[in-house]
Amino acid sequence: MEIQVNGAVHRLPDEQVDEAMPLLWALRDVLGLTGTKYGCGVAACGACTVRVGPRAVRACVTPLGQVRGQPIQTIEGLKSDRLHVLQAAWTEHQVPQCGYCQSGMLMAAAALLDERPDPSDAEIDEAITNLCRCGTYPRVREAIKTAARELRGQPRRKAAGWA
Amino acid sequence: MKRRHFLLSAAGVAGALVVGWGILPPRSRLGDRHTLPVREGEVGLNGWIKIHPNGDVGLAMHRSEMGQGVHTALPMLVAEELDVPLARVRLEQAGTDAIYGNVAAFLAMLPFHPADEEPGKEGATVLLSHWMVTKLARELGISMTGGSTSVSDAWEPLRLAAATARAQLLGAASLKWRLPAAELRVVDGVISHASGPSAHFGELAREAAALSVSEVRVKPPQTWKLIGRSAPRTDVPAKCDGTAVFGMDVRLPEMRYAAVRMCPMLGGGVARADLDAVLRMPGVERVVRLGALAGSTAGLAVVARTTWHAMRAAQAMSVEWSPPPHDPHRGLLDSAAIERELEAIARRALEAGEGFTFHRRGQARDSATAASRSLERTYTAPYLAHATMEPMNCTARVRDGGVELWVPTQVPTLARDAAARIAGVPRERVTVHVTLLGGGFGRRLEVDFVAQAVRVALEMGGRPVQLVWPREEDFMHDFYRPAAAAVLRAELADDGLPLRLEAVTAGDAISPRWMERGLPQFAGPVDAPDKTTSEGLFDHPYAIPHQRIAHRATRSGVPIGYWRSVGHSHNAFFCESFIDELAHEARQDPVAFRLALLEDKPRHRAVLKLAAERAGWGRPLPAGRARGVALHESFGSIVAQVVEVSRSEGRPRVHRVVCAIDCGTVVNPNIVQQQMEGAIVFGLSAALHGRIDIVGGAVQQRNFPDYPLLSLADTPQIETHLVRSSRAPGGVGEPGTPPIAPAVANAWFALTGERVRGLPLIAAAPRRPVA
Repeated sequence: MEIQVNGAVHRLPDEQVDEAMPLLWALRDVLGLTGTKYGCGVAACGACTVRVGPRAVRACVTPLGQVRGQPIQTIEGLKSDRLHVLQAAWTEHQVPQCGYCQSGMLMAAAALLDERPDPSDAEIDEAITNLCRCGTYPRVREAIKTAARELRGQPRRKAAGWA
Repeated sequence: MKRRHFLLSAAGVAGALVVGWGILPPRSRLGDRHTLPVREGEVGLNGWIKIHPNGDVGLAMHRSEMGQGVHTALPMLVAEELDVPLARVRLEQAGTDAIYGNVAAFLAMLPFHPADEEPGKEGATVLLSHWMVTKLARELGISMTGGSTSVSDAWEPLRLAAATARAQLLGAASLKWRLPAAELRVVDGVISHASGPSAHFGELAREAAALSVSEVRVKPPQTWKLIGRSAPRTDVPAKCDGTAVFGMDVRLPEMRYAAVRMCPMLGGGVARADLDAVLRMPGVERVVRLGALAGSTAGLAVVARTTWHAMRAAQAMSVEWSPPPHDPHRGLLDSAAIERELEAIARRALEAGEGFTFHRRGQARDSATAASRSLERTYTAPYLAHATMEPMNCTARVRDGGVELWVPTQVPTLARDAAARIAGVPRERVTVHVTLLGGGFGRRLEVDFVAQAVRVALEMGGRPVQLVWPREEDFMHDFYRPAAAAVLRAELADDGLPLRLEAVTAGDAISPRWMERGLPQFAGPVDAPDKTTSEGLFDHPYAIPHQRIAHRATRSGVPIGYWRSVGHSHNAFFCESFIDELAHEARQDPVAFRLALLEDKPRHRAVLKLAAERAGWGRPLPAGRARGVALHESFGSIVAQVVEVSRSEGRPRVHRVVCAIDCGTVVNPNIVQQQMEGAIVFGLSAALHGRIDIVGGAVQQRNFPDYPLLSLADTPQIETHLVRSSRAPGGVGEPGTPPIAPAVANAWFALTGERVRGLPLIAAAPRRPVA
């Protein structure tokens, strides 16, 4: 089987995978792309969020058979030439604590900003359903807004929350 | 300096006792240049600090990064003393030498009242106990990240280690250039003299290592350039691009993956399993029986080519489970029955004056007082799970008579000891690599999953194996925050202020059970009184003339453990809810009432006033909203929180939290704010939704949908205000959690007149047993 991850085509050895295998485990255990995390296995926590095409999906319940031929983007592919605007905002707002859920948060935020370059609070609430046990939510919200402003080319405002 | 002074005063008051322990000064926590291993070109200066050839500073990192920012805060202390940029302090994992042991965590276990431990005002008993525990903790050398102690424990030794290294480097430059050390300056890791000569640390390290230094002073606070500033966290970049390595991310050549499945009944075992059928499943290589290891429930581990193959087979496996050994006094564990029993035990102990008394003053049981009326209330708190985002896991390899571990742990030396026990090798043959932790919150103070990984690795013929717990196992086999019940009774004077407080709590004691699992050599036949059962209640700050505060320790058989803020997590709810009820009874404003009881507590007053002022306490709110307040001291820090709630579909909705904290000297304000935000969200999940139900011996919550966590959409706006202080640093990882539950409950009362005395505030329907 072949899948297309972060712009490259990867061949998955038949003895290690089958069509029912969730994308999460092919990424982590076959391709070694460990930035995408296992949290619950039931699409509840979002730690495994990746993008398939423009959409954010939960890789722990997405069988390989469903993503064949579609472009998959993981956290390892979010950074292009320069630090992605979201990653810069994440740094500016010092979002991560333990960091385990942050790959999924960033991928969900990337999908949101592609669809809605200027998301309202309600749209952020609706799009970011990922769980974070460290409670980084207030900074996730602010960082998404900062990234959105940056994308719209508006002047930067100093990050709230830390001096 | 301080330590020696301290030692002499202890010896002076209790000479005979001290002689038994030896009069020699306690072993230094600086170590020497041989404590810290060096590679080609590096020069060790002491057990903490080495110098790289390019002048970078190597720091032995002895604490685990689990989100609390310790990989930033500790190097800040070193960078400050050495005057190097933070980015040039390179972390490498500390070894297992006793200098890296946690002393502050053991001192915090002493059941002294904070008033008796106030620096400079300690009595003889307190001083002697501190001295003895310090000595014991140094001998034990248990490397532990917990109890919000990382900065407070490292504050003196780490700054002294860096200041000593600095003095040696300055001494080397002084000798080399024949210039007085006092005329040299250090800027960004370069030592120079106005007359011209300059050299970076790497060029002076070899000569510096040969020098011994007699007297070292740490920098005075007014000269700090880094401490007190929000230096960006060093771990942020790797946590934003997927390169951060957690335990689950360890990848070794030829590695296999194992998934566990344990008996759903806590303490039960495996009666029969169809292993042949499992071994025929795709990708499966082997099945290993797991006994009850380091406090775990027995079960099986399936080893396969990928985690998914292992988890799928473990789940599909047909197993007949056996219940735990029969206990004639009770049937299978049932949390509802336990919780009812705790209430009854607490009430009986209050009536009979029983339980271990952690604090007594005045005549708490003399009924002949001037009290005009009394108030008695019962409160309860449920079992809770840690639910770290990264499930329990450990990677192990056993070969050539040694064990190598890659593990997200809060207790590397205990992980080492457990591995040595299971593999039957000397502990010197165990190497522990501590990865980043995807959350800890106390769950990773346990080593059950380490023991299991080593047990499986023994069967792997030298091949490494990564043992992972499916999320369901993580919920069903936690070491839970114990359930607790409290009965509080106050007698009130005519002015409404309490004259007398009697409080008895009941619940299982965590520390003795944890000792049995992790430090069996210290678990005695009889449990010592465990401070964590009463912390947050016996040590409340309010001036009440007559008090008795006691705990009745129970043994339910439920596996229990340390959960972020430990006893404070429920005792703050009991104490601050009751204080709020007393204020209402006295017809006084909740903030004014507390202030009236805090006349001799300036720090508490300042924190409470700051939170109230910033929250606009007393100012009108829009219709349908109300405020609540709570104040709580824990882990050496004082926190007040004011919340605003409304009613949404009959349930509390929290809109805003204003938090004030006095945590002594602030090393990194941003990290303190982060920890307050995190602790509030963590505490809100528990306050609103958190409960673990045990029915028929089995935990009913299996995954996040059964154990709701606060979502981004439900997260309130949070503001944190820091009180300026010159005291030594207190803790920040945990103190933000305790006040949030009572603050919300008090706000809910202000809004609705309904007093909720049992957590969680949003009661779920009783659960039916799940097969």
